[in-house]
Amino acid sequence: MNIKFASRLIISLTLTFLIGPFLIIILAGLSAGDFMTFPPDGMSLKWYIKVFTVESFRESFWLSMLLAVFGTICALILGIPAAYAISRYDLPYSETIKTIVAAPIIVPGIIVGLALLRYLVVPLNFTVTLALFMAHTALVLPYAVRVVSSSLNNLRGDMEEAAVLLGCGRVGAFMRIVLPNIRSGVLAAFILGFVTSFNQVPVSLFLSGPGVRTLPIDMLGYMEITYDPSVAALSALLAFLSVAIVFVAEKFLGFSRYV
Amino acid sequence: MSDNFVSLQKLSLAYGQTLVVPHLDLDIRKGELIALLGPSGCGKTTTMRAIAGLMAPQSGHILIDAQDVTRIPANKRGIGLVFQSYALFPHLSAFENVAFGLRLKKLTNSDITKRVDRWLETVGLAHLAKRKPDDMSGGQQQRLALARSLVLEPKVLLLDEPLSNLDARLRLDMRLELQRVQLETGITMVFVTHDQAEALALANRIVLMKDGKIEQLGAPDELYNAPQTRFAADFLGFQNIFEVEDQTIVGKGNALPLSFQTKARYLAWRPGAVTLEKGKYEGKIKSVSFAGEQREFVIEAPIGQIKATTPAANLPRQIGEIIRFDLPSEGVCELRE
Repeated sequence: MNIKFASRLIISLTLTFLIGPFLIIILAGLSAGDFMTFPPDGMSLKWYIKVFTVESFRESFWLSMLLAVFGTICALILGIPAAYAISRYDLPYSETIKTIVAAPIIVPGIIVGLALLRYLVVPLNFTVTLALFMAHTALVLPYAVRVVSSSLNNLRGDMEEAAVLLGCGRVGAFMRIVLPNIRSGVLAAFILGFVTSFNQVPVSLFLSGPGVRTLPIDMLGYMEITYDPSVAALSALLAFLSVAIVFVAEKFLGFSRYV
Repeated sequence: MSDNFVSLQKLSLAYGQTLVVPHLDLDIRKGELIALLGPSGCGKTTTMRAIAGLMAPQSGHILIDAQDVTRIPANKRGIGLVFQSYALFPHLSAFENVAFGLRLKKLTNSDITKRVDRWLETVGLAHLAKRKPDDMSGGQQQRLALARSLVLEPKVLLLDEPLSNLDARLRLDMRLELQRVQLETGITMVFVTHDQAEALALANRIVLMKDGKIEQLGAPDELYNAPQTRFAADFLGFQNIFEVEDQTIVGKGNALPLSFQTKARYLAWRPGAVTLEKGKYEGKIKSVSFAGEQREFVIEAPIGQIKATTPAANLPRQIGEIIRFDLPSEGVCELRE
């Protein structure tokens, strides 16, 4: 009886800490007052509406969106062949290669950001946007390689040989046989990469410049000056967006099999 | 020479530093069903992959239909291969699996439909054309893999362990299917197997391989009745194989005098060739088992265990009893190392 009670308590606490902040943010954004408070100071949708009128939010949202989409696509273009090579060929140092590929998520983001700023942007005069793009690609790459590798490992190699014996070239066999069969893995990698890139803070923090800020950095900056509930409203909207993406992915792709 | 449709000449095959097949010469006739038989690691699969073009030989030549194909890539050789796992394309329907090779040839749609339908019909899968391979049984998958290769009318069809993934009843079906296809199309078939029963039942000729070399080559009955080496006899199910020294059979440090003259290094008898209840040798019955039409004995003799069978009606003998037996000159196989 006591064990049952204890386990329920633990589950309830866990759920409270997982879902609680989310609920608080949603409610705080609904406040009618001028400051972020909880419980909210009256009810209104005005902060949810205001979010869409803030110029810098609109700009940084689009920057984050473009970074997430193109950074992830770029990571997949680099990552799929890498995953293919690692899983199909007996490469020397393949363990080392895997570790290097995983480095961007193992090394703290602050260090990655500082390093990119210090050695790419400052001495080589890279624009901040380009550095951001490269950084996001690098950060998503490990996920791309890992997720695509696991679906490639589930795919038998003799299928490609069969395609070759039926008259396909090696590239043709990859395009016609391998890609269609790892499609869900690639989409899963895309969604994971997209979310990772979109929510990225530490690296982007270093790589911000005048007029170039990703949405999370912009929100940080906004909050330092104005402590109104619009940031809460925006956070809630972003959380809904993430949930919607994952929900759609799960519904159509069986996303959870790959992560 | 025109008889030799596929010709392997001084072929040597290696994986990296490991030489699997050192030097292989083999001629395969047109329209023949030939089996590459041997234990795992004997180089049979490697040889098949080399014929298919999936691996390049270190040296030597492969000729198909009088053309040297050694340097021709796998996708241009016109050879079909039915994989052990079938290697069907899971994202395509049965129809599209069979159509795959034809689409690459840029045939017209109506032509493709006609040929695919004909082959699905031939292998009895016409009603499953829309089905995905994962929703088909093992036997159906194999017939689909067969149709996918044959629709391209390959010069040679290679099959990797064609019966190993099927249960006993399906094995018989598939065997009939393969023999029928071969009869109808006259296609040359090479299949790889480690199962002597499969090779004996299916092939016109058997190539028995050991350590990348041909141990013996011949018709199934030749191999079954007259293996020439100790390895061949062992692989083809001879259970009583003994070494010969000075007209005696030796084993376990003991020797038994032979009742006939031989120059062979080894002698072998099938269980049925051993005579029981008479003869010059004695042993103790270690086990008796009833196997329907016959009774199987294991006899502990001074030179080792002897396996013998008799018709079931005879000899209701018990374990532990002493029994006389003979290893006669009728039914003996003379072997070299």
